[in-house]
Amino acid sequence: MDVIGNNKKIRRFSTARIIEHLVLIVVFTTLAATGLSQKFYYLKVSQWLIFTLGGIDTVRLIHHYAGAAFAVLALVHITVATLGIWLLRWQPSMFVTKKDILDAVHNIRYYIGLENSTAVCDRYDYKEKFAYWLVLTGGVIMGMTGFTLWFPITIAKYLPGEAIPLAKAMHSNEALLIFLLITIWHVYDSIFSPDVFPLDTSIFTGYTTREKMRRLHPLELARLEGKSPEEILKSSAPDSAEAEEEPGQNPL
Amino acid sequence: MKGKKFIILFLSAVIALGALAQSSAAKGTTACLECHAEKGRSIQFQDGNSIEAYIDAGAFNASVHSFLDCTDCHRGFTPSDHQEMKFRSKELFKLRYSRICRRCHKDEDISKKAIHASLLKKETNGDSHVCTDCHAAHSVTPVAGGKVFANEESYCLGCHAHEISMRFKNNETIPLKLDMQGLKASAHGNLSCSDCHFGFSSEEHPTRSFRTSRDYAIASADVCRRCHFDKYTKTLESIHYSLLSQGNLGTPTCTDCHGSHLIARITEDGEMSARKCQKCHQGIYDIYSKSVHGAALFSEHNQDVPTCTDCHKAHDIDDPLTVEYHEKIPSMCSDCHADKAIVGKYGLSTDVVKTYLADFHGITLGFYRKQKDEFYRPARPIAVCTDCHGTHNISSTVGPGAAAVKATLLKRCQKCHEGATENFPDTWLSHYVPSMSKAPMIFIVNSVYKILLPIMVLGLLLQVLLHIWRYIADR
Repeated sequence: MDVIGNNKKIRRFSTARIIEHLVLIVVFTTLAATGLSQKFYYLKVSQWLIFTLGGIDTVRLIHHYAGAAFAVLALVHITVATLGIWLLRWQPSMFVTKKDILDAVHNIRYYIGLENSTAVCDRYDYKEKFAYWLVLTGGVIMGMTGFTLWFPITIAKYLPGEAIPLAKAMHSNEALLIFLLITIWHVYDSIFSPDVFPLDTSIFTGYTTREKMRRLHPLELARLEGKSPEEILKSSAPDSAEAEEEPGQNPL
Repeated sequence: MKGKKFIILFLSAVIALGALAQSSAAKGTTACLECHAEKGRSIQFQDGNSIEAYIDAGAFNASVHSFLDCTDCHRGFTPSDHQEMKFRSKELFKLRYSRICRRCHKDEDISKKAIHASLLKKETNGDSHVCTDCHAAHSVTPVAGGKVFANEESYCLGCHAHEISMRFKNNETIPLKLDMQGLKASAHGNLSCSDCHFGFSSEEHPTRSFRTSRDYAIASADVCRRCHFDKYTKTLESIHYSLLSQGNLGTPTCTDCHGSHLIARITEDGEMSARKCQKCHQGIYDIYSKSVHGAALFSEHNQDVPTCTDCHKAHDIDDPLTVEYHEKIPSMCSDCHADKAIVGKYGLSTDVVKTYLADFHGITLGFYRKQKDEFYRPARPIAVCTDCHGTHNISSTVGPGAAAVKATLLKRCQKCHEGATENFPDTWLSHYVPSMSKAPMIFIVNSVYKILLPIMVLGLLLQVLLHIWRYIADR
């Protein structure tokens, strides 16, 4: 019998992160809609969108300003994270470690029945880290190539002319890569995955449940509760059933 | 009985008199022909010209005047009395002799014919006509008077086979003599005169009065639309028609390109078609004939190359200086340059069209052509084929021509991309599809993503599916 209710809410994201993510959703969706409709300009849906938004020039204008907003967002994020880790000794929880690769292998083994349980993850699991770093590095590439395409005359003053079509190739390919990663994996993991369905609301409310923490981020929970990871994991199997028997419990 | 005798007597007297008259006429004519049937005699005029004084006896006897004696017209001439007459010129001589005709053919008789009526009317204005110009002198052919013509043509040709002309108010004249052989060989060889010249017949020959020969040509071209209505309506949308309706009478009408009686058959010969435009557009013709297209047309008779009408069309010629026209150019060039069957022969790639259409300018153009007017559009039209390659002076992009294209490229870029520098034209890959030999960096980037993307997507999907499968298996 667990004394701490599994429905207890645990703070996972700060207000700054919530706002950052909300802005990112808006900017990302705008960039994807106005960018992909230019990449796949020949599709009916692209043409419909472009005409609805007011023509190709308007769409390009929106894309440019959304791109600038994305660049600001990325710069602020990188600066804050760097300063935070460097000066405020924040935990570099997003850094990729050897454990992440082992976790990924472990989970694949689990999926095909070679392991009995899922990988034991910390604050961010390998999927979240993969998406994060792909979006961040991809975002930097997108920003650099995007500005090259926005100001080709200036860039061609310092670089060979071919840099512009090269930037276009990278921008266009990387865009599709990021878009597919987000739509396939991030959307699955935070909406459709049986672990969180119908929606993992933690990034919007800032809170998650202890039960979800125990299942998805047991190492972080152990640290929070000052227990050993083994204690957290041991309690896992019977707890899930009990948790459902106490739906009214709201410790906050 | 007495009455019968009298009739016989009367009849024989008539026959005898007739025979006498016939023999006397023959006698006079024979006397004249003694000299005038021989060639070599001529009448000298004071201006130095001369005409032959030879009479073709056969033609005279076949003429409507065969019953006349020479002296009936040439009064005062007998074999013994052959008076000397002096004329200043051949024209005055003919004019004088035309009056002889009018002694028998009174004005009120001949004016029953519309053609004569109009000529007589002109005569009152001092414009004299010579009967023999149409009717000939000694071999006077029947024109009317109950004689039947084989067809309409031969009726019209009675006059229009001769050197007659039409005079306009500004004193211009145009010949009205018809080249019948040419007409028969033309596309209209099967038509009759009145099919086009409606309102004209053996009964009617209306007099029309035009200021100039140009006015007449423009008015006459209206005739064509009776049959070629489709072409006529197309011309109404053309820049030529709009210029014409603004009062520029120099713009071409049907007959200026197609001819009037010598209508050419439709031909695929680009050279012929270009030469028609040359009549007015000499400057452009010269430039075109030096271009890669024009040179091939005129020196190799290459029929694959575009000639004027391929881009400008023949009847519904658009104003080529409009934005709409400018935006249509890539699709015009594509007619050939996207067709492997045409350009493949010359080692040209159809990629040129694809690469243009898939790049910034092509995509933008595609949207501009579909976008409604209320959407933003830059003042300067987007670059199309002709902006880099030239219009009438298109040169080859292989060989020495390539340098010419390249040289003008930066200037062309700067027209829209203000401040563009030397490197800027290279931002366009000159229609090349990236490969290891051309733009290898781009080729590599594209290839890496081509491999990376499907692997990533498959990997992600596989993980998602495995996750779901495991979840279901665990329940």
